[in-house]
Amino acid sequence: MAKRVQDVKPARSKETEAWFRENIAEQKQRYAAIVKEQDGLAAQREKWVEEFLQVIQTKGFNVTGDTRRVIKPSEIAKKPKGRHQVVF
Amino acid sequence: MARPHIEPYVELDHPFKKFGVSGFKGSSYKVLSLDTDTGACTLKVRFDGGFKRKPGLSYSDMEIFVLNGKIKVGKQTWTEGHYAFVPAGMAVGQIEVPQGAEALLMFNDSEPSWVESDKNHQLALTEAFSSVNSYEDRPWGGGSIVSPSVATGCLIKLLHYDPLTEALSFLYCMTPRFAQDNISYHDSAEESYHIWGTSWMMQFGELPTGGYFWRPPYINHGSFRCKYGTIAFGRTDSILFNYFHFNPWTNPDENKLRAAANLYRKRPQLYDWVASDGHNHPHGPPDFENPDYTSEPQVRMLHGEPVGGTVSRSKVGTGGKARKKK
Repeated sequence: MAKRVQDVKPARSKETEAWFRENIAEQKQRYAAIVKEQDGLAAQREKWVEEFLQVIQTKGFNVTGDTRRVIKPSEIAKKPKGRHQVVF
Repeated sequence: MARPHIEPYVELDHPFKKFGVSGFKGSSYKVLSLDTDTGACTLKVRFDGGFKRKPGLSYSDMEIFVLNGKIKVGKQTWTEGHYAFVPAGMAVGQIEVPQGAEALLMFNDSEPSWVESDKNHQLALTEAFSSVNSYEDRPWGGGSIVSPSVATGCLIKLLHYDPLTEALSFLYCMTPRFAQDNISYHDSAEESYHIWGTSWMMQFGELPTGGYFWRPPYINHGSFRCKYGTIAFGRTDSILFNYFHFNPWTNPDENKLRAAANLYRKRPQLYDWVASDGHNHPHGPPDFENPDYTSEPQVRMLHGEPVGGTVSRSKVGTGGKARKKK
């Protein structure tokens, strides 16, 4: 196994460990806030999705670059039941 | 496993915190994303006027993008738009910030670390070092560096490329009235910071100046709009392949299966070999050209193996791969 600089990193100091723990906890809060905020957009998102489905059936879907293909109604997926989750 | 899905996060709405870690005192920071296993992170750092630090090195690969101000690094002066990739163990010169500066600071392998030294560590892979002013020293190119490609109006300046993983660091812009009517996902994690401008995605809404995301692999994003133009700094942690589709409701598991089906169609022999009994190498198959790649910190991080020092374990966070850089 080739040895690398990362392999010889000293153990975290107490100072760094405290920094790490504090910022993990804060990130967890940020993540929860993002999920809440995004859940709040659900109704608006449904309208955006409707508009998108209209655009790809009229103007077309970008297959690659500026090449477009108009999508047939039969190709549109059926909306599943339940929450439309966007943050994972 | 890695960093959670942080999208969108507008850092301008949040205050800086004093940076109390050795080597960074005299600066303030905001965490944009943090790997809850390894400590790898992306920070926005504000260096107060008068900040000084002696020459030193980090035990992690590091990237920096200067957002504003001037940072003297040894004999160089890094100004707005400057990008550098500093491999772990490579000593950088004394740092001085006479009048203050702000930068994105990315530690790819572990938490922020700094040790005073005017010599490179003997194991440092210094040939990977790069330093460029992205605003002045690179031309804009079309976004079609990969296929399927983005629509016309998304331009890119490639700043760093890892030849083994094909991970990218880049500046990108969307021209005014940019539009792309598809939904995308990738095999790679993707990260972006909006230096200026607002863009829109169907899932997340508007991402304004100061907006940031760290998006783990296989998560839907798009369609895309940008009304007045945007300039942003972006990264991936491995090869960027655009899987485009038009089903708004798929989840990452379904997207991953579709990606695997794509691989199966394009490389059936390889897929069969990897998937069959006795040939499934969970730590990666042997590579005669790069026999040591499985010992790279980034590969080991993928499998939850420690990378030097004390590596804490945490259940916080969701998917996403460790950043692969060397």
